[in-house]
Amino acid sequence: MMNNKTTAVFYDGNSSVPQQIELSLNKLNATLEFQMSDGTHCKWLVKDVFFDKRATGLHLKYGSEVIQHIKIKDDHFINTIHHFRRENGHISWYQKLLDLGFAAHFGIALAILGIIGLCYVYVIPWAAEQSVNLIPEEYDNKLGNSAWAGNEYFMNVDSKKTKLLNDFAKQLNLKNTKNLKFIVVKSDEINAFALPDGRIVVFTGILEEMKNYNELVGLLGHEASHVNNRHSMKMLCRSLSGYLFISVILGDANGIMATIGDNINSFQSLSFSREFERQADADGFKILLANKVNPQGMSNLFKRLKQNNFVSIPEFLSSHPVTENRIEYIDKMVKNQKITTINHPQLESLFAKLKQ
Amino acid sequence: MEKSLEKRVEYALNYNGKGSDYFGIIIVNWLLTVVTLGIYYPWAKAKQLQYIYNSTSLNDDSFEFHGTGKEMFKGFLKAILIFLVLYGVLGLFIYLKMPITALLLFYVLLIAIFPIAIHGSYRYRMSRSSWRGIRFGYRGDRKEFTLLFFKWIFFTIITLGIYGPWMAMNMRNYLLGNVRFGDVEFEYDGDGTDYFALNIKGYLLTIVTLGIYGFWWQKDLFEYYVNNLSLTREDGKIRFNSTATGGDFFKLITLNLLILIFTLGLGYAWVVTRTLKFVFEHVEAEGNINLDTLTQTEENYKDATGEDLSDFLNLDSVM
Repeated sequence: MMNNKTTAVFYDGNSSVPQQIELSLNKLNATLEFQMSDGTHCKWLVKDVFFDKRATGLHLKYGSEVIQHIKIKDDHFINTIHHFRRENGHISWYQKLLDLGFAAHFGIALAILGIIGLCYVYVIPWAAEQSVNLIPEEYDNKLGNSAWAGNEYFMNVDSKKTKLLNDFAKQLNLKNTKNLKFIVVKSDEINAFALPDGRIVVFTGILEEMKNYNELVGLLGHEASHVNNRHSMKMLCRSLSGYLFISVILGDANGIMATIGDNINSFQSLSFSREFERQADADGFKILLANKVNPQGMSNLFKRLKQNNFVSIPEFLSSHPVTENRIEYIDKMVKNQKITTINHPQLESLFAKLKQ
Repeated sequence: MEKSLEKRVEYALNYNGKGSDYFGIIIVNWLLTVVTLGIYYPWAKAKQLQYIYNSTSLNDDSFEFHGTGKEMFKGFLKAILIFLVLYGVLGLFIYLKMPITALLLFYVLLIAIFPIAIHGSYRYRMSRSSWRGIRFGYRGDRKEFTLLFFKWIFFTIITLGIYGPWMAMNMRNYLLGNVRFGDVEFEYDGDGTDYFALNIKGYLLTIVTLGIYGFWWQKDLFEYYVNNLSLTREDGKIRFNSTATGGDFFKLITLNLLILIFTLGLGYAWVVTRTLKFVFEHVEAEGNINLDTLTQTEENYKDATGEDLSDFLNLDSVM
């Protein structure tokens, strides 16, 4: 029975005095037995003992209020105990997971990351988009209203041209489901944007760049499509849910992961917005066709904006990125489709007045 | 046995943890936390703390953390309840159309949570830590500490933050001064003026040197924390001394950053391991207290509410 005995150090839980003990494992009774320095015999049931393997040896903890300790350094005895515990099913499932080793842990890490990635790229945007249908349109209006209220003060509205632009738009079928309000703002900025409540703001800077009314129709079609598709609300839902997801999953792991996650999220938002721009281009294109206006106007506008402003990128392009691809995309659609265009003298004359 | 030794001795402090072991714990915890939709978090935290404490040794005997996931989960629920009550009070007064009273009360209560969280966290952590079965303990008084905290915060606010370093040192002196290790008492001797000067110097030189001095500032801070700490029992004393240099911090921090960046964060376990090894390698402890004669004096304290509140408030750095 030499194997089942060893010397160890015992701490009684009341003082830090190390006591040398002779410790033995009684396999029959499943107990650990030893004698304290005051002569008391101790018997610990193996299943009640807490074991922990550390660099300093195998540590045994026993008791809840007064915690007694034993430290074992004898590798042979440590092995004997380990085998005994394994045979008797004392190893916890948690320990078994830890014992899987580095390669398995690394695999688990990659698998979790992979699943999170898939959720993030496919499941979350889909769920967010579905949830947009549950949000009443009224909320889009509130959002747009407050955005406009915040900016109105800084905008110099051109009321005469605003009326002309509204007349211009009345001639068109913009496939809109809600009322669109057009506003012309005096500014050199080459920009236009749509608010979720149906307000479409066009700066005089971008009007000056235009050569033909079909370019303006292209722009209005594009912006109207943003409103029709509720892109603002979708964007909000997507980036919000993406952010929530990332911070819930990675936030607890550690701070660094959360930071990386945040950056991924803002990067991902950029690609969402690209997707929305493409959709607005495609739907805007259809609006041009439906109104029998030459769709070449759309790509002409983009090309001109690109050429004339090679020094500073116009606002419209920087917030509506990847123009090269978009021009190609429109040109391809122009080529692939049978297009019937008619003259629109009324649009033409309103456009001329807007250019004045 | 003699309580104090005749000759001064060096005590060996070591961190023996391995990055790969800690990585395993983090990943298994991560898996369980994801699978349980976050409910496993308190248990995960307990396992991580246990590993870190168990891997730290003094004179070849390791420290222990006895805290359990169950305790921290209960604390977690209580902490949530406290925040719910806090927001409930805010909501009630807003409902009664008393928004100014509501906000005032809200902020006073919110500030009051901080000392309560710190106090609770210290009591819990200390009581659940031991070495050779001898528990640590925290003997600060919650009411006293809360009042002091309000006083310090008040001074900090009316001096527009200038009092901050004095507040930090007063708090450290109070907290660590009330820590017990069996019958041995901790003491921290920080001085607001010194700490203020150290930080001003560090801040200015870091700007002038475009950040390079930051490592030496870090070294000064570390030294200030370590060298002002001591343990006493009757005529026995243990003093601590930092041996880390600015260059050491430069190596530690840059390498840690590189590891994190190139492993996309997965190297976090190795970063923690390297940092803890660094800390214990660069702290010398010397004195004449006979560590074989410590006696149990501190009671058990299993309420983890303060620990969890601190977690919510991100107060990890105060520990």
